[in-house]
Amino acid sequence: MRLTLRALISHGRVARKMGLGPESRINMLRNILTGLVRHERIETTTARADEVRFYAEKLVDYAKRGDTDEKAMKMASFWLTEKDLVPKLFNVLAPRFETHSKGYTRMARLPNRENLDRAKMAVLEYKGNPFPPLYPVKKDNELTLINQLLRGYREDRAQQLATKA
Amino acid sequence: MAAKGLDKCFFSLRLLRNLQLRNERLVSTSACRLVDDKFIPPSKPVIIDKTQSVASLRKFLSPEFVPPRQRTNPLKFSIERKDMIRRRKVLNIPEFYVGSILAVSMADPHASGKANRFVGICIQRGGKGLGATFVLRNIINNQGVEICYELYSPRIQSVEVLKLEKRLDDNLMYLRDALPEYSTVDPDMKPVPFSPTGEVPVNNIKVRMRPKPWSKRWERPKFNIQGIRFDLCLTPEKMEHAQKWAEPWREYDMLKEYDTSKLEEHLLDEFQQEMSK
Repeated sequence: MRLTLRALISHGRVARKMGLGPESRINMLRNILTGLVRHERIETTTARADEVRFYAEKLVDYAKRGDTDEKAMKMASFWLTEKDLVPKLFNVLAPRFETHSKGYTRMARLPNRENLDRAKMAVLEYKGNPFPPLYPVKKDNELTLINQLLRGYREDRAQQLATKA
Repeated sequence: MAAKGLDKCFFSLRLLRNLQLRNERLVSTSACRLVDDKFIPPSKPVIIDKTQSVASLRKFLSPEFVPPRQRTNPLKFSIERKDMIRRRKVLNIPEFYVGSILAVSMADPHASGKANRFVGICIQRGGKGLGATFVLRNIINNQGVEICYELYSPRIQSVEVLKLEKRLDDNLMYLRDALPEYSTVDPDMKPVPFSPTGEVPVNNIKVRMRPKPWSKRWERPKFNIQGIRFDLCLTPEKMEHAQKWAEPWREYDMLKEYDTSKLEEHLLDEFQQEMSK
């Protein structure tokens, strides 16, 4: 018995269907991307966040090429519907990710939406944003014995190095 | 009597000529003894054989070497490339583009002489790897004929480029709906000499079409055809109506981009190294 109909196999297609058609999909992604560039951390449904992630990273790659590149400017002006974000992209985001070669975004799951649809939500952010981190860093307890001894050792070493130099 | 006289004349002439030569030789040797005794040969005449095709010095990588963007293992493509190079070492597949005129001779058990030869314009180059194909079109006895050949098929005995040129498009399938004069190629055409260096000549011809209906709606922007004279066969209203199918977001869609420049350089180096071995 065939469990899948032949028509349901996507055969290597990577783009999800969203909205009313290909134009609507691109427009939706454009809006989400503009919001991401403005606020640097947004929450949407998981599928939309996953699609936008690819475009966000490619946009940063284009921005890295520089302000003067014609193709980069065309791409930026197409994808960012609010034109005051174009200088922000080239002057703030591109230098921030100069050392990174890929992986400028981070995606984390959120609890499902409170509406009737209970949609799967996700938060998408550019790394290096000014907000507190998504996954809070666990700090060790400073007041345990071992940590106090290690702190003393570190201070002694620092003193020795300072007296040597 | 006259014959004897003539004979005597010839004989005397020959004697004189021999004496002259001997004198010259004596003179020349006596003069040259002062210079080196080495024999200086005369300069060889340079024969430029324009009928034979010279190996192209342009940096050209055949499009079937560039692997498509897929989820298959790259090992498959590298093994295929090795086999393609092995075949190319035996059979010389020249550089050609869509729009150039080729003559292909293929082994055929039923043809007299066991091989048949077909001359035509290349209208399409498809497939990647060992299954790469090219379609040649010609009109023979008022009948349009298109034959799809596989580049790496063992039945192919020789591929000659009679005229190397490029056209404005990558796919000339619209020649099926064009007037027959644009697809006719003389089967006994002599190869046109082309330089192995420098740019490939681009033929900017704009083709006239037969009246509609056509096999495909060539005016639609998805085909992006530059080589048809639309002003003769379509009104401006129809052209505008065809622009409804234009997808202006496509050129900005980063998902659809496939940048092959670095891959091509790498593959070209590999190809040249392997072929020179």
